[in-house]
This record gives sequence, C-alpha cells and structure tokens, in this order.
Amino acid sequence: MIIFLREMKANRKSLVIWSLSVIMMVFLGMVKFKSYQSAGQSMNNLLGDMPRSLKAILGFSVFDVSKASGFYAMFFLYLQLMTTIHAVLLGAGIIAKEERDKTTEFLMTKPVSRNVIITSKLVAAIVNVVIINIVSLISSLAIVSAYSNGERVSGDITKLMVGMLIAQLIFLSIGAGIAAISKNSKTSGAFGAAILIGALFVDKIIDVNKSLENLKYLSPLKYFDAEALLVGNGFEPVFIIISIVIIAALTYLTYSCYNRRDLSI
Amino acid sequence: MNVIEIKNLTKNYGKSRGIEDISFNVEDREVFGFIGPNGAGKSTTIRTLLGLIYPASGAATIFGKSCIDNPEIRKDIGYLPSEVFYYDKMRVIDLLKYSASFYNKDCTKRINELAEIMDLNLKKRIDDLSFGNKKKVGIVQGLLHEPKLIILDEPTSGLDPLMQQRFFELLVQENNKGATIFFSSHILSEVQKMCHRVAFIKEGKIIKLEKMSTLKESAYKKVKVEAKNHIEKDYFKMSGVNNLEVNGNIANFIFNGNINSVMKKITDLELYNVWVDDPDLEEIFLHYYAKED
Repeated sequence: MIIFLREMKANRKSLVIWSLSVIMMVFLGMVKFKSYQSAGQSMNNLLGDMPRSLKAILGFSVFDVSKASGFYAMFFLYLQLMTTIHAVLLGAGIIAKEERDKTTEFLMTKPVSRNVIITSKLVAAIVNVVIINIVSLISSLAIVSAYSNGERVSGDITKLMVGMLIAQLIFLSIGAGIAAISKNSKTSGAFGAAILIGALFVDKIIDVNKSLENLKYLSPLKYFDAEALLVGNGFEPVFIIISIVIIAALTYLTYSCYNRRDLSI
Repeated sequence: MNVIEIKNLTKNYGKSRGIEDISFNVEDREVFGFIGPNGAGKSTTIRTLLGLIYPASGAATIFGKSCIDNPEIRKDIGYLPSEVFYYDKMRVIDLLKYSASFYNKDCTKRINELAEIMDLNLKKRIDDLSFGNKKKVGIVQGLLHEPKLIILDEPTSGLDPLMQQRFFELLVQENNKGATIFFSSHILSEVQKMCHRVAFIKEGKIIKLEKMSTLKESAYKKVKVEAKNHIEKDYFKMSGVNNLEVNGNIANFIFNGNINSVMKKITDLELYNVWVDDPDLEEIFLHYYAKED
C-alpha cells in the first residue's frame, strides 16, 4: 500500500500531462473533421482519386469519413497508439526506475518482498492506464457528440475504448516484462517502444496488403482495431484469448525474473 | 548468539572478481569492522547478505534467517549504502517519512533527534543537497527505526571530521543500547576506535579475522632509528622485520618477534635517537598486504 501510494504520487504529473494530451488529440481530431466537412464535395473527390494503398496508410479506406463516427474510427488508431505508448513506457519505467535512479538499495532493503513491490507497482500502473482510458472515453463521448450532428456515437466509442483498454494492458505487461528481464534499466523503455512501433508497422502492412492478413496475430494493435470492432466481427474470442495469454505470461515472467535476478546497483 | 552468519559465500560477476568462500560470524552486540581496499568485495558481501544479489554458493543469514526468504527480518536492520541516492524530487522529511512508513511505528521523534545531531535540514529537497548532506540523510534513514542490526558500507566518506565524530558517538550510543554494528571501511583509523573485532578482506577473500584487543596487543612494534652514520640498506634485513624503509641515516620498520634480537642490532649502531611505538592498525594492515604481494 505504501509503495502503491508512492507510485501514484510519483506518476501524478505525468498522468495529468498524458490526459491533457489525449483530450487535445480528440479535440484537434474533431476540429479537423469539421474542416473536412466544410470542404464538402471536393474532399470526397480528392479521397476518391487517392490510390488505395495511400488511403490504407492514412486510414481512410474503410470508414465513411464524412460522418463523425467514421472520422473518429479513422483516427482511433492514433489515440490507441498514444495510450499504448503511455502504457508501455509506464510499465517499463515503473519497474526499472529503482535501478535507473539507483534507489534499489533504499527500497529493496526495506522489510518487503520483491513480490509485494512488483504487485504494488503493477497495480499503480494499471490504475494509471485505466484513468487514461476513462479520460479518453469521456473526452471522446463529449467532443465527438458535439460534432456528430445528432448521430449516435456512444455505443461505438465505448466498444473502441474497451478494445483500447485491452491493448493498453498488453503493452503495459510488455513494458513491465522487458524491465523485469532486462539488466539495463535505461533501455527497457526504448525497447518497449520499439516493439510498439513494430506492431504499428505490421498493422499498416496488413492495411496495405490484405493478403498478409495472417500477420495480424503479431500486432496487438490489430486485435481490437476500429475495423474489427465496428465493421468486422467485434470482439473475436481468439483475440481475447491471445490477449489474456500474453498478459498472463508476461506478468508471470515479470514476477519470476525480477525475483530471481541480481538487482543492479 | 550470532546476528550475522556467513558461510562459504561465493559470488562472481561474469569475468570480474566478486567474493570467494567467505565465512565469518558477527555476534550479538558486537561492533564488527570489515576492512579492505576498494574493490575487495566488501559491498558485494553486504549486498548478498541483504538479499539484493544472490550468492553463487554458500549462505548468508541475519538473525538465523535469509533476507531473501524472509524479507520481514529487514525491519530490524538499518542499512547505509556506500553511495546514497534518493528520489530526487522529494524533500528530506518526505523521504524519511516514506522510509519510516515501512516500519509500522512512529519514528517522528527519532527523526528529529537524529537530524538535530547530524545538523540536517529536513525541509530541503534532496537534489539540492551536497554529497555529505546526502550521506547524512542516509545515516538518519538507516537509524530512524532504531534497528537491532546496523549495517554501514563506507559510512564516513563525505562527512567532515566533526560530523564523523558525532556519527561515531551516535553509533556508540546505539551499541550501548544493544545494537549490533557491522561496518565496512577502507579507513583503518575509523575501525580502530570502536570495533571489537575486524576482518580483513582482499581480492575477494578474508585474509585475517582478529579481535581488536589481540591486534593491539600483538607483538608488533613500530621502530624508527636515527643513526649517526649512514645505515646500510640491508642492515635490518632479518626475520620479523617488515615494511623496511632506509633513508640515509634513518630506518623505519615494523617488527614482530623476539625484541632482543632487534635491540642488539640497534645497539650496535651509533645512535642519535630511537623510537619504539605500538603501530596503528593501518600499519599492521599494510604489513598484511605486503606479505601477500
């Protein structure tokens, strides 16, 4: 409990900054939507002339971007990217920080086991991630409905946010796992971010070339993306199972590796 | 009763040397000095003892238990690391309260007492503190819960002489109250003042473990001879003579053996002056080193 509160306090400032960034992102996204809309027919013509692969990369391919819900679904990927970057950096940082800041000898000589320390830190990280998700949900509901001209958006947004939460938790566990395994406390965040960029790369490759569809298992960003949730089959059991397996396995690794290894001092 | 028991402890870091087959015990209420040069393995031993790193073989226990399997025994341990690092953005008092919160007792009074003794400003932010002041934070942090065992790794580096003295007085008080103290140092005069027993570590191995009283009473004599004439370089080369330095008509050495034999040698010289003293620990220690090299 002591360590949990300490971590909540230590992450307070960054949580506020990330929350504001999320709100700004949703807001600026919808402002852009407004300008697309006022451009009217010419915008649709422009999009119609674009090659399919370019549209795919930009995310215009599936959704009707003339509607608020479609436009939101298109830029949902970037929201997801932002919150998963937060999650992976938080997961890596919260585990690695004692070694990075050389406070290991302070904390690890207190009468608490390494398991208790990890649990406190992970719970604090999960609370942070959930708060970011709730901020995204509330700001999306408020801002998108303000631009939706009466279109009902809350169901779609809620679905997307549930999917995003799972992706956030996956990347949180990836970050924590890397930090627990790695002896180099300074690089674990960067390594986690690299995995995220890799996942984004796979995600985009699939968008451009549908024949590589099977690669989707490699990219957690793809498991519950807007296309799957809104126009596809929704929450597919196979991805829910994969997500649970990834989170459970990495959490197990986090505990077992951190318990067994020498702390770097 | 033994507070610390270390049995055949071995730890290697890849290529670099760690510690090898170290064994010793620290008894209840003892002040035990752990002496060796930098890199000899003092910190490695302490970190293994505290469960920060794992031994390759052997065992280290505190109060009969291993720190790794029984982290709760650490509530009776106060530890001062050799290099003190803390959460930069915290104020001193916040850090000390955070530290105290792990021990389930109200330490406010003790924090204030210790801060007073060590002349530490509790309101300052930790990242604004100098090295010496950070060390003071470490000292208060290590003692605030009135631990039964105090482990100190190079405790006085960075402290000015006045603070060193206050700190040692503090340790003597804690020892009188019943605390066992285990500390490492490469400065021998520190140890001499307060230790009951000392262990010398060199290149990862214990080379000597001795009672302070025995060390002090040992037949070691520090001899300085000033002769009228030039002293031959080899004049004092005999068994029992160590650390021999001859410089013109002056000779310095440490002697361990039958005092008569060396006195005869000395009286054969025409003398200006002669000094025979008990050596301080540092000189005995240098002698151990010289032997090994």
